[in-house]
Amino acid sequence: MDAGERQVQVRFTTRLGSDLRVEATAFSLPVHLNRYGLSQIINTLLALDSPRPFDFLFDGELIRTTLEQLYLSKNLSAESILVLEYILAVGPPELQSSQPEKDWVSAVNGVNPSLILSGSYDSFARAWFPDGTCGSVLKGHSDAITSIAVAGSSNDTDLDVITSSKDKTLRLWKVPLKPSSSTLSSVRIFKGHAASVQCVAASPSNTQVCSGSWDSTIKLWKIDSEDEDNEDEQALKKRKLDGAKQSIAQVTAFTTHKEHTQCVAALEWPEDRYIFSASWDHSFRQWDVETSINTLTMTCSKALHCLSVGGEGSSLVATGGADPVLRIWDTRMPGTVVPVLQLTSHTSWISACKWHRQSPKHLLTSSYDGTVKMWDIRSKVPLQTVEAHKDKVLCADWWREDTVVTGGADCEFKLFKYTPIEWL
Amino acid sequence: MAASDDDALQVLSGDDQDDGAYSSDFEEEEADSGEEEADLDEEEGDFDDEDEEDEDSDEEDGAADGNVEANDSANHEEIREALLDYIGNGNAGADGDEESDDREAADESDSSEDEAPPRNTVGEIPLEFYKDEEHIGYDRAGRKLKKQARKDQLDSFLDRSDDPKDWHKVYDEYNDEYVELTKEEMGMISRIRQGKLPHAEVDAYQPYVDWFDWDGKGHPLSNAPEPKRRFIPSKWEAKKVVKLVRALRKGWIKLDKPKEKPRFYLMWGDDLKVNEKTANGLAYIPAPKAKLPGHEESYNPPVEYIPSEEEINSYQLMYEEDRPKFIPKKFDSLRHVPAYAEFIKEIFERCLDLYLCPRTRKKRLNIDPDSLLPKLPKPKDLQPYPTTCFLEYKGHTGAVSSISADPTGEWLLSGSRDGTVRVWEVQTGRCKKVWDMGGSVFCVAWNPNPALPVVAIAVSNDVVLLDPEVGDEEVQLNIAKLLAVQPSTSEPTENTPLIGWKRHDKLRGIQLSHQQNVVRVSWHNKGDYFVSVSPDGNNRAVLVHQLSKQQSQNPFRKHHGRVADVLFHPARPFMFVATKMHVRVYNLAKQELSKKLITGLQEISSMALHSGGDNLILGSKGAKLCWFDMDLSVKPYKTIKNHKEDINAVAFHKSYPLFASCSDDLSTHVFHGMVYSDLMQNPLIVPLKILHGHQKGERSPSGSSMLQSYPATSPGVSDIKFHPTQPWLFTAGADSVIKLFCN
Repeated sequence: MDAGERQVQVRFTTRLGSDLRVEATAFSLPVHLNRYGLSQIINTLLALDSPRPFDFLFDGELIRTTLEQLYLSKNLSAESILVLEYILAVGPPELQSSQPEKDWVSAVNGVNPSLILSGSYDSFARAWFPDGTCGSVLKGHSDAITSIAVAGSSNDTDLDVITSSKDKTLRLWKVPLKPSSSTLSSVRIFKGHAASVQCVAASPSNTQVCSGSWDSTIKLWKIDSEDEDNEDEQALKKRKLDGAKQSIAQVTAFTTHKEHTQCVAALEWPEDRYIFSASWDHSFRQWDVETSINTLTMTCSKALHCLSVGGEGSSLVATGGADPVLRIWDTRMPGTVVPVLQLTSHTSWISACKWHRQSPKHLLTSSYDGTVKMWDIRSKVPLQTVEAHKDKVLCADWWREDTVVTGGADCEFKLFKYTPIEWL
Repeated sequence: MAASDDDALQVLSGDDQDDGAYSSDFEEEEADSGEEEADLDEEEGDFDDEDEEDEDSDEEDGAADGNVEANDSANHEEIREALLDYIGNGNAGADGDEESDDREAADESDSSEDEAPPRNTVGEIPLEFYKDEEHIGYDRAGRKLKKQARKDQLDSFLDRSDDPKDWHKVYDEYNDEYVELTKEEMGMISRIRQGKLPHAEVDAYQPYVDWFDWDGKGHPLSNAPEPKRRFIPSKWEAKKVVKLVRALRKGWIKLDKPKEKPRFYLMWGDDLKVNEKTANGLAYIPAPKAKLPGHEESYNPPVEYIPSEEEINSYQLMYEEDRPKFIPKKFDSLRHVPAYAEFIKEIFERCLDLYLCPRTRKKRLNIDPDSLLPKLPKPKDLQPYPTTCFLEYKGHTGAVSSISADPTGEWLLSGSRDGTVRVWEVQTGRCKKVWDMGGSVFCVAWNPNPALPVVAIAVSNDVVLLDPEVGDEEVQLNIAKLLAVQPSTSEPTENTPLIGWKRHDKLRGIQLSHQQNVVRVSWHNKGDYFVSVSPDGNNRAVLVHQLSKQQSQNPFRKHHGRVADVLFHPARPFMFVATKMHVRVYNLAKQELSKKLITGLQEISSMALHSGGDNLILGSKGAKLCWFDMDLSVKPYKTIKNHKEDINAVAFHKSYPLFASCSDDLSTHVFHGMVYSDLMQNPLIVPLKILHGHQKGERSPSGSSMLQSYPATSPGVSDIKFHPTQPWLFTAGADSVIKLFCN
């Protein structure tokens, strides 16, 4: 260590378990240290067998500079003791599996921890099991799948899955949860859109589905009541036995929202009460389900392609669109014109953004530049960047808390696992 | 001297006109009070005496004056003059008083003459002119005034002694009569004799009326009479002057030091200074200086100044004006330097230049060139407009010749020279559909009616209508019906149909076979009519087709030149036909020529219409872009030469105030083109962005296969189209790539 180098007083705190706790005394540390150096110090203090990476928080922000720059940027006095909270850092992800598909993978869904669903431009949706085997193939659409939603399950054996497609329809499938390879046909078909259906979302109570389309409408559909379902299932079985193709029950929308002026590109149904929608008309809106009223409209300057609701109290909306900037909006401040956060790191359009289902701070984005990035909103720099695909990444989702599912225009379907993650 | 009534004052002023500052004191005083006159005279007398005494006390009085005068210095002169004034004034004042009485009398007679108009009109001439005449002059009517008979002395004496009023009669020589003086006139004479003012009513010494209200004012004004010392020359000052004179004479005071000349001075110091005015008041412009000789003119110049052989030879290639006048040359010694051959000539020219060259001062206008530019809004404030390329649509193997976006903005249609037409998904860049047309595709056009997604494709000699299969079931059924060839109801009559509507050989669609290459198709806004352009088709160059009835018609009997492009007006029944140099606007309802736009362009290559229908832009082969405001004039509102090479396509945005042009120089220029609904306001055009990114493609020759000339493809950006809803721009290049530029 340089004799002439300046030292600062640093005290470490943590909310981690007692085995990862260090003494609460102040240390004199040289100012040139950055995250890596601090992490090394914690590791030596703890005398861990295998070193673990730590991240450091100051004033609710992740440290991405040296201590000296931190002092300068925060205008701190050199005499004051710096209190740093350390957390376990998110390690780089590992490619867990890569499955080649027949065509571009346009939709993935990882809501259910026991299987992953993917939709492709070859008009088929597929269910994948954790061991990387392809389970059911969902055949029925006549054009590319654009989005997949999971509407829970009425029983333990299968899962209700809704897919939207460029063939202007949505279809409901009952995907068996047990690993078995089979070809499924749809249980129900939702007709009514006049143009390609771009997105679909199921209500948390799994009774309703909403879909957004290129005809710039949002349509709400009832999945079915329990008895009808049973009846239908019986009828379905009959029809299956008959082998009649036309026998699939048709559903029509019970509500249509027409306020959007252009393609509705993304939908999210975070709570039963309201729906969020993002559109190419540069706005994202909140809809009250009961009254069918547009309760909130926020306008961006670019066409929006994806939207995700999350953060503290599900009040932050992340939107990505026809530019490389990820924008995070606070719905508690209606009427704001400027997003709370603008995260720029991608070099092309953002195709998908997803909040982590448990963590209010972590966010996943995929972009046409072929990368998938993980963000912590406490830092302006992405935590991790993965060169996931050779071509455009078209879709991405979380699966089982620590795994990321991506699909791209290089016809690959990939899983990345982040180790170890302890989400706060 | 303002009170001209005062006679005494008049007398004085007449005398003292040449006096200096001191004399005014006397005049004022005399004007103030006649009573003080005597005192003043006495005082002046006193002063004179004293002065004389003072001068007497000096040894050499006259010599002193002489000395003073001899001295040239200005200070001395002033003092002397002041002294003389002192002395001269006193005398002058005294003289003036003595003469004053005579003058008064003269003035009085003048004034009386003015009062009575004379009977005699001869004027003021010596009366001796009439000495020998019988008359003395002429009256106003021109009659002679006879002289009165002369009375001899005795008679006149007797007359006078008889006449009791004789003593106040005056003989008027001029009118030859005796005038009896009135009582007033007598009184006036007597007052004058007493030395009083002639008019009794004039009171020269009225009691002083104090205009100033003194009560409680506390004003420093004093009511005390002016002290006498104010009016008399100061004795003390006179003494002081005498002292100064003595000091000067003795040499105690030195008035001017001799000027020291600087020992060293700048020989050319004032060369750069320009004297604006010369003695004669004319502007003087100094002659330009000849350059001073430098090292190269030395007889032994440094080596680096001596040009090499090559350099000297290279001078021969230069223009005579550019050649150096003097070529440095090295000599062993100064003795070997020959006489300068050009000397006489150069000096002569220099003289000519100095004396004959009129020199003028150039007046430079100090105008900031930036201020002359029109104030345009900054591009930053005109967002959104396309700036960055985020997506590329790759798949064609030949130059992309034409693109067209569907009215919803979901799909993009492109036609290429590789013989294929592709449908792309705009958002992802996925190719949804490929049609192999079996020939070079010149133009593609998506039906602008969103309810009728049909595409028209110009492939070599044909226009092909195809179904891109993007509508819902109902729409698809409708399209299937439209695209099924109706059996011609009227069986071949005498006039065979212009164009045969046939089923396409391979694809599900309709084929319209033309006789020549079709290079343009363009839809009407409602999506039922479309027009095809085959420039070589002579009188069949422009054909209008109706989709619903599957009919074609030829609206024009003749074209004035080769047709380049045809467009429908979006709302009204107008059709724009661009030939090589002009654009003709036809009214389809009235079937007449409505307007002819004079472009001034070399050759029109493309045309685009603003969604309002009143503004048109044209791209030309001469790399010029023209904006027409058809409400304004048939001449271009603006002509912009922005590209380096031929413009291939121009495009307007449907909703945003944007337009763009693309060219063979691989660039696309995006402009802000705001059209105001206010007719008084001209469209605002601001260049926004130049988009690069396309590679140079091969220029396919305008070959002549099948006895037909194929239009040459451009090597640069061949077509551009705006996204129908977003501020995005599609550009198609000869490098077989389509790019999407986003805001």
